[in-house]
Parts: sequence; structure tokens; C-alpha cells
Amino acid sequence: MLPLANILARPLRTTVSVLAVGVGVALFLVLVGLTSMLDEIARRTTQVEAHLMVWPASDQVVVSGGLPAEKVEKDLEAVPGVEHAIPVLRWPFKMAGRVQNVYGIRPEDWQYFALDDQILEGRPLEGGAEMVIDARLAAAGGYRVGQTVERWGHAFRIVGIAKEGVAGRVFMPIDTVGEALQQTGRRASFFYVRVTDPASVAPVREAIRERGLNVFTLEEFYDVLASSFVDMDLVIGSVVFVAGFVCFLVILLTVYTMVIERTREIGILKGIGASRAQVFGLVLAEAGLIAGAGIVAGFLLTWGGKALILHLQPLWTVEIPPVRYLLAALLAAGGTLLGAAQPAARAARQDPVESLRYE
Amino acid sequence: MASILETRSLVKVYHADGVETPALRGVDLAVDAGEFVSIMGPSGCGKSTLLYLLGLLATPTEGTVRIDGRDVGILSDGERTRLRRRHIGYIFQRFNLLATLSAEENVALPLRLRGDRSGGAPREMLGAVGLEKKRRRRPNQLSVGEQQRVAIARALVTRPTVLLADEPTGNLDSEASDRVMDLVGRLHRDTGQAIVLITHNRQVADRADRLIRMHDGRFVDT
Repeated sequence: MLPLANILARPLRTTVSVLAVGVGVALFLVLVGLTSMLDEIARRTTQVEAHLMVWPASDQVVVSGGLPAEKVEKDLEAVPGVEHAIPVLRWPFKMAGRVQNVYGIRPEDWQYFALDDQILEGRPLEGGAEMVIDARLAAAGGYRVGQTVERWGHAFRIVGIAKEGVAGRVFMPIDTVGEALQQTGRRASFFYVRVTDPASVAPVREAIRERGLNVFTLEEFYDVLASSFVDMDLVIGSVVFVAGFVCFLVILLTVYTMVIERTREIGILKGIGASRAQVFGLVLAEAGLIAGAGIVAGFLLTWGGKALILHLQPLWTVEIPPVRYLLAALLAAGGTLLGAAQPAARAARQDPVESLRYE
Repeated sequence: MASILETRSLVKVYHADGVETPALRGVDLAVDAGEFVSIMGPSGCGKSTLLYLLGLLATPTEGTVRIDGRDVGILSDGERTRLRRRHIGYIFQRFNLLATLSAEENVALPLRLRGDRSGGAPREMLGAVGLEKKRRRRPNQLSVGEQQRVAIARALVTRPTVLLADEPTGNLDSEASDRVMDLVGRLHRDTGQAIVLITHNRQVADRADRLIRMHDGRFVDT
């Protein structure tokens, strides 16, 4: 009764406090959700029917287009335990206003990237100046099967739209990419390698490594890719921390002001029988109501923010699992109550006589 | 008749910024159950301080306060709070209603604070002070006299043994003052609790069974 009446009596201050909590919640959920974009890229890259990735010998994992595809494929398939080597020529290609990585593959290797039932519309690659794109890119750019896209001085026809989640968003025949790039002979940026027996991945990897190539299991490559984004994680984490701290300070100041304003009221409450614990509880209850409303506001801001981001950048990913909403709510509630605790304790300790005399 | 309220050699000294201000210099008071006592004196003579000590809102520097025979000086903070809830009704100077609550909610507050379901008691008490129809109004929607009647209702809703009234007519005109004192007198007759009322007003003070004059922290005429 009293906590609710008190926060409703000061609508502007209550609104500011609720927004402070809400913005903190939304920032946490959306920014942390954005980091899943990086995870999504790593996931797609390693979501292939293969066991290893083979790159040119280098200190860094980079996009390169230098391996002689046929020779390296032959060398790899000569390694005991290797079932099949899949060359991939990866190159930047602009679609839907953003640079994508086109995966140049042999049409017959499509089966390792997506089973046929992952083609939602049209057909897989067969050869020539054609491409298959994923459904997300199609939606973002308004692309349709049969449409042509002009790049590199060529017109590429979209022949199929695949389910989102295959390795890349754009696939073309490897020879088509090489031709467009005026490469001599078939080249590959890297290889996916399938082994005959998954239990033999480790020795096969060592054998390939001895040939002077960089080799990763798909799990290792996922970790390498994910860890290369650690700086962004740090930036996002810092922003989230600062946002949370600012919210905490806003709540602390708001509740402190509330307590000072209601010095006399606290004296009255004590005069009519309120205990210290009850005064403490009343102040915390007001903060709790603000936290509750702020959490709801935060969830609404999150959904709105996510929708806006995906509207402006449809190829971005903002993943927010349900448990993270719970975590955000707990952090917001905990932070709000922590911010209110000191002013609440101050109120509880107030001398009733001094409070009654307060002007 | 046993005293419901008793003080012995009560002393209260305020300390602020290294300065000592004696407010009470040894007060002996005994109020019987059902007795109406008024205390008169000039501003600064210690009347309000005496009421704070009787209402367990402050602790004496020296001396004892007994309520219903219990020495409150040896009680813990929680015990004092419970004793205050059970035995004391307080009418503050300037009414001190909570502005965000309605009249009924203000009256219900002491019951809620001690964990009682208020039921119909607040409405009944507002009826006794003639404000049942205005029970949903906020204090700023009531006249000064009506606010004071709500404060009286709040003080009495818990059926306290003792009612302490600090200048209950201090902010009222003479007509409203008479109405409030008529009400206090009627309720006193109906409920029979002891009343200690402090006032500047001789006419108000004369309504009591006993008048005590106070000056410079001491009783000068009882």
C-alpha cells in the first residue's frame, strides 16, 4: 500500500528510475546477445560433414587463396585414414549491402555442406555462373531463385536457396570463382577433410601436420575463431559493466533522495509503531517495485531493440536464450536492492524525534 | 488506582555540536488509568520532549519511565516498539498524515504495522470522528480540522491504553479547536484511556481532569 502509493506520487522520478533499470537490462541482453553473432559465424563455418580443416602453413587463420587445389587434394587423400578432401575457395563478395564470404566448392561436394533437404527452393549447384544462397541472405536482400547478381564483371544466377546454418551464405562452383578471379588452375583457400574412422582423427591430423600444413579439428577451429573475437567480448563486457554501474548509482541516488524527502514521514511511521525492520522493508519494497517495473521495461526495450537491430542489419544475429532473461532480471533486482540498501538502513536508523522535527 | 504511566526524576539533555541543552530537569509524573492530564507551559519548556519520552520515541538521560508498571529503560528496541504499538496512541503536532494515503489508509496504518488485519476498524473510527464519507480523500483534500480528526482516529484505532496529544489544536481556529476537543472528550468518555495532552491554550487545558504547569524543564504547579 504505502510503497506503491509513494512511487506513484512521484511519477517523473519513478519513470526515470524505472528507465535506468530498464536500459541497464536491455543493454545487457542486447549487447551480450550480439556477441552470439560471432559465435554464429564460428558455428556455421564448422557445421560441415567433415572432421578437419586444413589451411596453408601460417601463424594466423586468414582468408587466403593460394593452395593448388588438385595437388593438395591428392596429397591429402594419400594420407592414411583420409576418406575425402574437400577444397574451398573463399573470397569476399558483396550482397545485401554487406560483404559476404562466397564459398567456391565443387558441386558434387555440396552434400557435405548441406543435405539436399536443406535446399528450400530451387536446386543445388551444378556448374557455371550460378550460386546458391542461404535463406537469411535471401530475405535480407530480397533475392529470389532465378534472379541474377552482377559482380566481378559477371552475372551469377541464383539457382537455389538453402536453409540458414550451412557453412557460408553464398556458394558458387569453385571453378566459376577461380575464373572470375582470373586464377590460373584451380585454387583453394583451405580444405575440409573427412576421415574414414572418427576415432583416427588425431593420428590423421598429425600426419597432415607433418606435411607442413596447419590442421585443426572443427572443434579447435571453432575455438580459434571464437577466441579471435575476444577483444570485442571485452569491449562489450566493459560497456555492460559501466551501464550496470550507472544504473546502480541512479538507484542509489534516487532512493537516497526519497529517504531524505521523507525524513518526517519516517518519524511519523516510527511514532505510530513502525520498527526499524519495517522502515527498512518499506524503503526496500519501493526499490523492489522500481526494480520490477524496470525489468519489465528492460524486456520490452530488449525486444524492441532486437527488432530494430535486425530490421537495420538483417544479417546480424542477436541470440538471447531464455535463461539470460532470468539472469538479467536477477542482476537488475540485485543491483537495485543493493543500491537501495544503504539509504534504507539510514532510514531505519533515523532518530524519530529528529525526524519529526525535520523541516 | 494504579498508575498507567509513571516517570521518576526524568532528565533529558540534548547534545549537539558539543553543546548540551537540558530539556527536562527531573520530572515526576503519575497518570492513572483513564485520567486526563494536560500540561501547559511556554515554548521550549520541555513539554514535547516529555511527550517523546512518554511515547518511547526517545530515551531519557536519567530517570525512569514506566508504562503499565514496566520499566521501559531495560527493554530492547524491539520490545519498546511492541509496547508502543500496544499501549500508545500519538497525536503529533501538525497532524502528520501521510500525503500519499487516503484518510482510511492513514487510519489503518498502525494496525497494519502491528500485523493486524484492519477489517472495519478504520472505517468505524472515521465514523466516530464524523469522516466516514470522506474516508477515500487524501489529506490535501481535507480541511485542517478534518485532518486533525483523521489524526485522532489514527491514534485511537489500536485502542491504546494511553493517548499522547502534542498541541492537537495548535493549528486550528477556535471553532475547529472546540470541535476537536469535544471529540477528544467524548472519545475519552467512551474508551476510557488515559490522556496526556500538552498545549499553550488555557481553554483546552481546562478540559482535563488535572492541569500541570511546566517551566524550564520542571513541573512548577501540579
